[in-house]
Amino acid sequence: MTDTPTLIAFFVLATASIASAIGVITFKNAVYSALSLILTLLFLALFYLQLGAMFIAIVQILIYAGAIMVLFLFVVTMLASEVQSTELPDRIPWQRGIAAILGLILVGALSYLLITGAAIDNHAVIPLTAANSLTQVVKTQGDTQAFGLALFHGFAFPFEVTSLVIVVALLGAMVLGRKS
Amino acid sequence: MTITVSWYLIVSAIIFTVGVTGVLIRRNPLIIFMSIELMLNAVNLSFVAFSHYLNSVDGQMFVFLVLTVAAAEVVVGLAIIVSIFRTRRDIDVDDMNVLRG
Repeated sequence: MTDTPTLIAFFVLATASIASAIGVITFKNAVYSALSLILTLLFLALFYLQLGAMFIAIVQILIYAGAIMVLFLFVVTMLASEVQSTELPDRIPWQRGIAAILGLILVGALSYLLITGAAIDNHAVIPLTAANSLTQVVKTQGDTQAFGLALFHGFAFPFEVTSLVIVVALLGAMVLGRKS
Repeated sequence: MTITVSWYLIVSAIIFTVGVTGVLIRRNPLIIFMSIELMLNAVNLSFVAFSHYLNSVDGQMFVFLVLTVAAAEVVVGLAIIVSIFRTRRDIDVDDMNVLRG
């Protein structure tokens, strides 16, 4: 049983995030699309807060809505004049209709699979008494501590590989951005 | 009424589908990139929802790794788009069908 404010918050957030996601793909101007994407990311951060993942929510706002989207907006505004002048008419006229039908099929299939797949979910929940359960750690140490403990105990190797990925991306961007 | 994990998964599925549709119908490479970001974020939402309902922190780890890979992907992708713009002025992805510069 969920209390009414949480339910209202869920529906408002769901509507707002889906509406701004649709905005991303419908705006003609790429700057509006980028701003709409920032809005979607902020609504998703609020979803994470509702789900009790405070650290992920903050990281989402700082890294995604902050760093990544600023990079996007820089590139969009840098290339804006060309973007708008060359928005050509559709070369494949039935493209939008086909895409809409495929999208409807995809959302139907995904929802069906998720609903039938998540039906077992109530039995799979780990009991709260387990020593490593998230609720237990969050209750005693807080959300960020729980995240850090898991990151440096179970996920230390993927965490290190992540730094390698970032270095490679950095070098790749420098090589591609160089004037030859 | 109780909010179950399925509700979050359906929101996630809808946002993912919006991203897929964006990749299918738009031909501006920047907006296609934004649609890919939408798909990554939809998956992140379902990871966090599962993490909450299965009472385990592992889902949040995956979100963290996806965030990092998305950042790397955006950096390299935008660098490629900018360098394509330097050599040729048009933006239609239908015309970008050769790897040669």
